[in-house]
Amino acid sequence: MTRETLAVDILIVGGGPAGLSAALRLAQLQAAGDPPLSIAVLEKAREGGAHQLSGAILDPSTLRDLIPDFQAKGAPLAAQVTDDHVYLLTERSKLPFPIIPAPLRNHGNYIISLNRFTQWLTQQVEAEGIDIFSGFAGQDVLMDGARVIGVRTGDRGIDRHGQPKPTFEAGVDVQAKVTIFCDGVRGNLTKELLRRLELGRGRQPQQFAVGLKELWEVPADRLAAGTVIHTLGYPLRHEEFGGAFIYAMPGGQLSVGFVVGLDYHDPLFDPHMAFNRFKQHPFVAGLLAGGQMVRYGAKALPEGGWNTIPQTYMDGGLIAGDAGGFLNSMRLKGIHLAMRTGMLAAETAFEAVRRGDTSQAALSGYQRRIDASAVREELYPVRSVHQAFSKGLIPGLLLSGAALVTRGAVLDDLPGHADHDQMRTLAWYYGIDKAAAGASNATTIDRRLTFDKVTNVHFSGTAHDEDQPPHLLVETDVCSTICGPEYGHPCVRFCPANVYEIQHDAAGTPHLQINASNCVHCKTCDIMDPYQAITWVPPEGGGGPQYNGM
Amino acid sequence: MKIAVCIKQVPTREWQPRLTDDRTWIREQDAGWEMNEPDAYALEESLRLREKHGGEVVVCSAGPSRVQQVIREALARGADRAIHVEDSALAAADASMVGEALAAAMAEERFDLVLTGLQSDDQGHAQMGVVLAERLGIPHSTIIMDVQVEPATDAMVASVRVKRELEGGWFQSIVMPLPALLTIQSGINQLRYATLKGIMAAKKKEIRKVAMPANLQPAQQILSLSVPTRSKQTQMIAGSAPEAAKELVRRLREDARVL
Amino acid sequence: MILVIAEQRAGRLNRATWETLAAAQALSGASMPITVAIPGAGLTAVAQELAAAGIGNVLVAEHPALAQYTPDGWTQALQAIVTEAAPAFVLLPHTYQARDFAPMLAARLRKPLITDVVGISGTGIDARFTRPMFQGKLVAEVRPQGDGPYFITIQVGAYRADAVARGSAAAVTQVDVHIDEAAIRQKPDAPFQEAKQAVDLGQAERIVAVGRGIKSQENLPLAEALARAMGAELAASRPICDSGWLPMARQIGSSGQTVAPKLYVALGISGAIQHLVGMKGSRTIVAINKDADAPIFEVADYGIVGDLFELAPAIAAELEKS
Repeated sequence: MTRETLAVDILIVGGGPAGLSAALRLAQLQAAGDPPLSIAVLEKAREGGAHQLSGAILDPSTLRDLIPDFQAKGAPLAAQVTDDHVYLLTERSKLPFPIIPAPLRNHGNYIISLNRFTQWLTQQVEAEGIDIFSGFAGQDVLMDGARVIGVRTGDRGIDRHGQPKPTFEAGVDVQAKVTIFCDGVRGNLTKELLRRLELGRGRQPQQFAVGLKELWEVPADRLAAGTVIHTLGYPLRHEEFGGAFIYAMPGGQLSVGFVVGLDYHDPLFDPHMAFNRFKQHPFVAGLLAGGQMVRYGAKALPEGGWNTIPQTYMDGGLIAGDAGGFLNSMRLKGIHLAMRTGMLAAETAFEAVRRGDTSQAALSGYQRRIDASAVREELYPVRSVHQAFSKGLIPGLLLSGAALVTRGAVLDDLPGHADHDQMRTLAWYYGIDKAAAGASNATTIDRRLTFDKVTNVHFSGTAHDEDQPPHLLVETDVCSTICGPEYGHPCVRFCPANVYEIQHDAAGTPHLQINASNCVHCKTCDIMDPYQAITWVPPEGGGGPQYNGM
Repeated sequence: MKIAVCIKQVPTREWQPRLTDDRTWIREQDAGWEMNEPDAYALEESLRLREKHGGEVVVCSAGPSRVQQVIREALARGADRAIHVEDSALAAADASMVGEALAAAMAEERFDLVLTGLQSDDQGHAQMGVVLAERLGIPHSTIIMDVQVEPATDAMVASVRVKRELEGGWFQSIVMPLPALLTIQSGINQLRYATLKGIMAAKKKEIRKVAMPANLQPAQQILSLSVPTRSKQTQMIAGSAPEAAKELVRRLREDARVL
Repeated sequence: MILVIAEQRAGRLNRATWETLAAAQALSGASMPITVAIPGAGLTAVAQELAAAGIGNVLVAEHPALAQYTPDGWTQALQAIVTEAAPAFVLLPHTYQARDFAPMLAARLRKPLITDVVGISGTGIDARFTRPMFQGKLVAEVRPQGDGPYFITIQVGAYRADAVARGSAAAVTQVDVHIDEAAIRQKPDAPFQEAKQAVDLGQAERIVAVGRGIKSQENLPLAEALARAMGAELAASRPICDSGWLPMARQIGSSGQTVAPKLYVALGISGAIQHLVGMKGSRTIVAINKDADAPIFEVADYGIVGDLFELAPAIAAELEKS
């Protein structure tokens, strides 16, 4: 089989805020008269922004640096933040924080839809004449020894039995002098690099949370646009790290979301159920009353902070954005950091290609740029905050408060843990040989305020060509043997999209059924599975959610 | 052979309907967009015909500036150039108006063959292609499942033999001289992917922008749009299996009259 | 006056013609006379049948060049008739044939055509027409713009053929038809039937769909038997096709087909929204499920909470009785 090849100077994998900022920065760095660099961006979604989901509140600092005239260029910033509220929720009531903690003060920030913002960034990049190849997933890293020489895109036109269809197109080998990996949280290519090049050596293990979000339409006078609400506490227990957000956009649009760390211990805990419970809280239910859920989605977040960021430079390669873990979990913000690291990666790559030296040593300039930038300034002081919360909510709050006050001096580098190691067995957690009986935090589903996963997933707009091999690779038989007794098949609960179901055959043996087509590309399963038996690979390019307005 | 393919941009299959405040059109900002499915099959058919008989494939589309998305996709799949009748009034225009707009832009090209989808997934009038044929003064046939072009000989002009779909599993074979217009049924072929090289080449292909004719009139007016609601109450039928079965069959026969 | 164009093939009237006549009567509100025109050849019997129904005068447009349907031939013949009759409305059934020539006829005469109408509000010249849009996700109320006559095609099955009010026998007039045969550019062969290569659920009038409630592939014959007894096509929700128990072509739902048959029987289907979007436009929906809270009952016209393994055979048996 002959494979097409395409050679470019700089390849960017991922058309999210990191990748697009990198592309835009490269366009800016090219002065008139220079021989033009060939640049390509690969994006697995059918169109820019379709797979982008976040709360979101944008810190505009990077946007100002990248596109100073962003207002004139029509950047879709839904609302300027007008006021912040933080509440500690109990089951029936809410206690306002008398003082908004500094990281959650959003004066000067904007409530945005990341989907719309990414669509706009995509247009800015396209206006520069840079090729964005939408519908092309990065399947494998191309390497020559320890050097990254490019990326192979996924084959298209393979049927569910692995056979080529008449429309078969082999993936393309895109060769580049420098590849900037912006493939997002738990990006499949970055994961491969971490493994092959041991980029995590000497770092803390990466840690993640999952964010579930709905877009609601409520009466326009319900909450003033620009209102930002964050909550802690109910429905999470002290052993679970996370909280919720409600952001009000114009026209009665509310972004409602729930974040929980994926290092929870209870094997019967269901994050999606927790989201439902949150909505049932009288305060939240009151905000949503008479409204309509119009979109749903889920995505993991890299929460580990500075100490979990791997080495992000190598021969021929750089890592930026969520893929590298550049997210401030205290402020719940990562978009401006993704954009900043994308820009810095672009500057590093640009210089390296011009000089003709794209070795690891040359690209290590990326680390120096990051260390000298607002990225380190922001992330270093709070580097152990997430790890502090693993001791519980109150210790976490106290320790993180101390860290903020002393700008990180007081808080030592606390050790972290890999999330998948944190789930306890049924026997350990429940103390008895408990047959899994569904979620421990189940609640009523009314399909108006609360939803089952199957109904929610319909509103993610996710669609995949049905006739392709499943893209969740599960190479194990634990599903039929030990997983049930040990953990009670947690994949059924931690996947927010009902991809995993357990069916019992006539003999009563459980079998894993994979509804791959429901997948919203959140990566929770790849992260959380206690046996680490699930590998997420990109499905055929173009498939996935359609996060309009998210 | 000079082939034209008319393609329309429509909301994606997954789109949830949202209406404007006056309920006369949809809220476009909430929609994702894609190429109308039957048109994609028409495009693929045109590319195959070009591969077989040589010539060029020209994509023709009428609509606001956002339809560039599907024009570029068609160019990336292999169409040679495009004509875009651009006007925001075309977003909600009926099939007759669109047909007139396209005819005005396409007439002077003197295409040998014009392919359209049999209907669009948005307004679904199933008229545009036939109106276009009438305005271009060329014969047409609709709901086509197979296309064979016979090049001209000394004895005969070029012609096209098509297989037209009828109801109930019936088909009909029809011969027409070229130039002719065909409306294409989904599933006639298998859609190729746009390749990386195709996407890159598309950027350099010509998209000729044409203004909509000034005096076009709509043929129909949308007074209101609504989401269909079920007005009937569910009638629950109780009893043992034989009893419920008997009652259900009775109601289906006598009340609903579907048996 | 409302002119209805009847459709026939090989001397047999298409049933949709009667539906269109019912629609014409609804549109007229008993205040506009109805005339029926029928083009073709060898039309004596169908003309008699139409005239006997007493709905209105029958115009027979016979010509040897109309022995085989072509859009060019039909447009020529009807163009003259419509111009002469000057009706307020021209109604046709929304059949494949009407889709082939009605837009040409309307465009030739430069008159509006509203297709696929499922309902009419009001009567006469101010009537408003309801038609589906966006693959049935929305329904639109529209009215024609500009001068008439207004052409309307009526969705097959939207009106009931047996709802036609019959009267005393009407007159049959043989219209003087002039056809320029050289101007008929289509050369059709005789229609032929092909062994069905693919399942076309979109054309089925009745569908029996199975869901997870069927439990295993071995139980499918039960559903097949019911489908046979009903004269229905067999279809399935997504999990059944995912498991390979039925081919993907039989899948109904957001990742399969959208159908709107006269009768849809959901057997052991819970009614997840992904399935509902594919079938909720069906005219009559029957739901059989042992879970009384299954969402399928929200869209059903008739519901039975019970065991499908008992009910399906019982219904099939009941149907076979007659």
